Amino acid sequence: MSLSKCFEILGKYYPSFLLGVRTTLIVAFIGTFIGFLIGLFVGGIRAIRPDKTARSSSVIFKKIVDIFIKIYVEVFRGTPMMVQAVFIYYLVYTNIVRWDKMFAAIFVISINTGAYMAEIIRSGIQAVDPGQNEAARSLGMSSMQTMMDVILPQAIKNAFPAIGNELIVNIKDSSVLMIISITELMFQSNSIAGTTYRFTETYFVTAMIYLCLTSLSSVVLNAIEKRLNNTKTSLPQSDTSFKSISIAKEDL
Amino acid sequence: MAIIEVKGVRKGFDGLHVLKGIDFSIEKGEVVCLIGPSGSGKSTMLRCINLLEDIDAGKIVVLGQDISEIRDINAYRSKVGMVFQQFNLFNNMNVLDNCTLAQKRVLKRSEEDAKKIAMEHLLKVGMVDFANAYPSTLSGGQKQRVAIARALCMDPEILLFDEPTSALDPEMVGEVLNVIRQLADEDMTMLIVTHEMAFARDVADKVVFMDGGIVLEEGRPDDIFNHPKNERTRQFLARII
Ligand SMILES: Nc1ncnc2c1ncn2[C@@H]1O[C@H](COP(=O)(O)OP(=O)(O)OP(=O)(O)O)[C@@H](O)[C@H]1O
Ligand SMILES: [Mg+2]
Repeated sequence: MSLSKCFEILGKYYPSFLLGVRTTLIVAFIGTFIGFLIGLFVGGIRAIRPDKTARSSSVIFKKIVDIFIKIYVEVFRGTPMMVQAVFIYYLVYTNIVRWDKMFAAIFVISINTGAYMAEIIRSGIQAVDPGQNEAARSLGMSSMQTMMDVILPQAIKNAFPAIGNELIVNIKDSSVLMIISITELMFQSNSIAGTTYRFTETYFVTAMIYLCLTSLSSVVLNAIEKRLNNTKTSLPQSDTSFKSISIAKEDL
Repeated sequence: MAIIEVKGVRKGFDGLHVLKGIDFSIEKGEVVCLIGPSGSGKSTMLRCINLLEDIDAGKIVVLGQDISEIRDINAYRSKVGMVFQQFNLFNNMNVLDNCTLAQKRVLKRSEEDAKKIAMEHLLKVGMVDFANAYPSTLSGGQKQRVAIARALCMDPEILLFDEPTSALDPEMVGEVLNVIRQLADEDMTMLIVTHEMAFARDVADKVVFMDGGIVLEEGRPDDIFNHPKNERTRQFLARII
């Protein structure tokens, strides 16, 4: 392997690499974000415990929903994303609609990430002190209000490192989505290697680009995490600026 | 008029009988201290009144209504304030937001109204200067005073305290007890589980002694502390004072 060859390939094919980086980042970011929303929803539902005073019909309904969630999580965590991608892509393509590859890729990575996020959010919720729930309920807040205003913000903060890790995993693992021929970094690299016949050098460049993307993401995520811990808040609640408080004081 | 009447209340957890027929009542403006050894069911009793637990038998009547028949449990809970041993301030928001959240969500007060009311109560408990502070930066005594202000913001008919000073360093007990004493002077109706006997003697209109899931003795503090009739009460007081 020669380093000068690597630079040569990078210099010559950088537009292709850049397109790959662009697609990879789009798929990884959108997939992580939608996966996060799925995780909030699914993990939140999973963590709800019916009240001591709840009706038995709603308890049974909750049990059935839990079973479906469990199946979803097990299936998507228990099979390779590459297999999920081809299966879902062709399933929809041949039976329902000739859908866009890029759309299919984002769809697959989102529901795949959602399965992991659901578990991350669920354990984040379980790590929140049960006293937080009791205090909110004792003030008359509903279980939904308690979840949205008190429990989830703390759960997200607890789980932030694991949530951020999913982004890094997705930057790397979106490479398997080349199987459905979207122009992400791995797919682009394959084409470049196929043209140059310099496999070692091409994939070395590819590896370095992935490493840059993941390191950069780590740095940004660490900075965000530090901020979360410093301000001791995770989601802004309301205007508590000095001005509004001094107004309230004057009103007394 | 009795604000709370507890009649023959029984409650168990998987075969463990915790409350075995509890009777007592609280009049409007009265301060009742609930004392008794660990495990006697005091916390369970408070949780039943707040509907955090449901009872197996008996009846709890609050403001003339049997609470097992209440439809809107959340509206009911907002009128029965609860102060916990571990404070349980919302960690993800500052002191002011702790006090305004339930006002906005449950009582549907506007942001300005909620803030104004919160500041009034924070002033009362001496925490107005900490409105912007996050719970993790406060001492235990400060947290508990905020927790009391948060409960007061809902205009409760009664406040339930579960060992409000047990988790505090000794030097902070006084500041919290003073706030409760001040509420007693303002005729707030309160049911207080406490191990602070000097405080109970001083502030209570009535003392209820619970042991093994039943009320063994109740009466005016002077009678309970100076002339306990029951042998178990005598032993408990001798041990704790
Ligand atoms: N959710 C629960 N499930 C099972 N057992 C419980 C539960 N809550 C309380 N208990 C049991 O009920 C008994 C009474 O508990 P409770 O907390 O009411 O006592 P207490 O008088 O408040 O005691 P302490 O002074 O230690 O706070 C204890 O033996 C406790 O283990
Ligand atoms: Mg207790």
